[in-house]
Amino acid sequence: MIGDKWVAAVGAGGMKIAQEVGGIMILSGQVLRALFPPRIDRRELVKNLYKMGNRSVPIIVLTAFFAGALMVLQAGPFVKKFGATSLAGYGAGYAVLREIGPILIALMFSGRVGANNTAELATMTVTEQLDGLRALAIDPVAYLVVPRVLAMMVMLVALTALGDLVALAGAMVVARGMLDIDWMTMYHSFADTLKPFDFLLGIYKSIAFGAAIAMSSCYFGVAVRGGAVGVGKAVNAAVVAAAVSIMLLDFFLTYLVGG
Amino acid sequence: MSVAPVIKLTDVGKRYERHDVLGGISLEVAAGSRLGLIGPAASGKSVILKLVAGLEQPDRGSVEVLGTEMVGKREVDLGAVRRRIGMLFQNYALFDFLTVERNVAFPLERRGGMTTDEIAAKVAERLRAVGLAGSEHKLTAELSGGMKKRVGIARATVADAELVIYDEPTAGLDPVTTQKIYDLLSADQIRTKATVIAVSSDVIALAGFVDEIAFLYQGKILYRGPAATIADAPDPIVRQFVRGELEGPLEDVRRDAS
Repeated sequence: MIGDKWVAAVGAGGMKIAQEVGGIMILSGQVLRALFPPRIDRRELVKNLYKMGNRSVPIIVLTAFFAGALMVLQAGPFVKKFGATSLAGYGAGYAVLREIGPILIALMFSGRVGANNTAELATMTVTEQLDGLRALAIDPVAYLVVPRVLAMMVMLVALTALGDLVALAGAMVVARGMLDIDWMTMYHSFADTLKPFDFLLGIYKSIAFGAAIAMSSCYFGVAVRGGAVGVGKAVNAAVVAAAVSIMLLDFFLTYLVGG
Repeated sequence: MSVAPVIKLTDVGKRYERHDVLGGISLEVAAGSRLGLIGPAASGKSVILKLVAGLEQPDRGSVEVLGTEMVGKREVDLGAVRRRIGMLFQNYALFDFLTVERNVAFPLERRGGMTTDEIAAKVAERLRAVGLAGSEHKLTAELSGGMKKRVGIARATVADAELVIYDEPTAGLDPVTTQKIYDLLSADQIRTKATVIAVSSDVIALAGFVDEIAFLYQGKILYRGPAATIADAPDPIVRQFVRGELEGPLEDVRRDAS
């Protein structure tokens, strides 16, 4: 009997995940269809680029600075012990550009922008604003979802690039201030050992992460059921789905192209 | 020669989960007429309005609006007929990211064909008509329920649509404002000769606005006839509902009271 319940619960969970993945795929198809030929409201696009990008800069800068600083701080005692100060920048830069930067910034972005986007769209759905648009012969996907998806993807790439630079600066500041490694040693440690691909891999990842955050946050927003309780559940589901997607995509992208 | 109806529902059925909301409704509304829909809660009144606007699809039957079959159409194909319809939603459905002025201007901006000055003049006239002059730059979150309702009416009527759908146009409004709103809707309809379909729980006020009333009960139309004589309808369920009597055959009342 307990076994039956367990199988039923696993089956129901599997069905729910399949339904949600299917829903995200259908919405992705609708977004692509709205892009060819482009049917994008420019005013909505500019508004979202500003709201999602510019307003995220302070939190991303803060997070990235300490991420870079932490890398050097953790590696510091070993670098000192083995006299390998010329590799301190390489270690920090490699980890930040390829992994820590894109993942940390994507998770921060998901928590700040993705959750907010889901809450906004979900509230609009439960208050019939999406039906209001449809009644005025306006496609809610083209008008509301597409600008948000584009804005999230563009801005996450831009914020990741900015975050990479700030993280490297954070690594240099801590190396100089706390480990007494001079600026030029750190600079050469970055410049002589890191390759453009280390930076590009992080950017490729941020494109994929941006798409995952955008699609999951928009899907759970427009597919919400119920009132305020439904909105809360939608935000929760969107954040969890985005975090899981980020980890899965990171693994596969690293495995396939990042070796 | 007979004129084709603006709305023609034929054997329309709609089911939500295990509940039959509409059980084979047929209904016609002639051009330029005003029809009121009444009935107990969850009798399918708002569902009919959404079917007419193409926001829902029926499980069976045909829904023809302004000469266009709405069933089985893709969203993009419904755009042309929706541009000829104005709709007031029960919960206003105002866009909370826009000001009052831009909410009302939105249908005109999206439709095109008018200059910015023409749109501004039309919006100002509508807002004056619903008593909201001076609230142009407020966000909808700053408005009371009654004010939101009036913004919704201004938005539904601003484009002089051929068919106007009102879902509870006066819910939550005081009697004086209710009468003012119905006077406004009436004057608008006389000016534009639009076809009107309206749902309201305020049967007496609605009867003063519409020509005919249809009474929905358990997914069927029990009565359709002149608004002025509905209180004397032959069906005892209709009479009980309109008169607001607790004793009678109306199942919902007996169940709720017990």
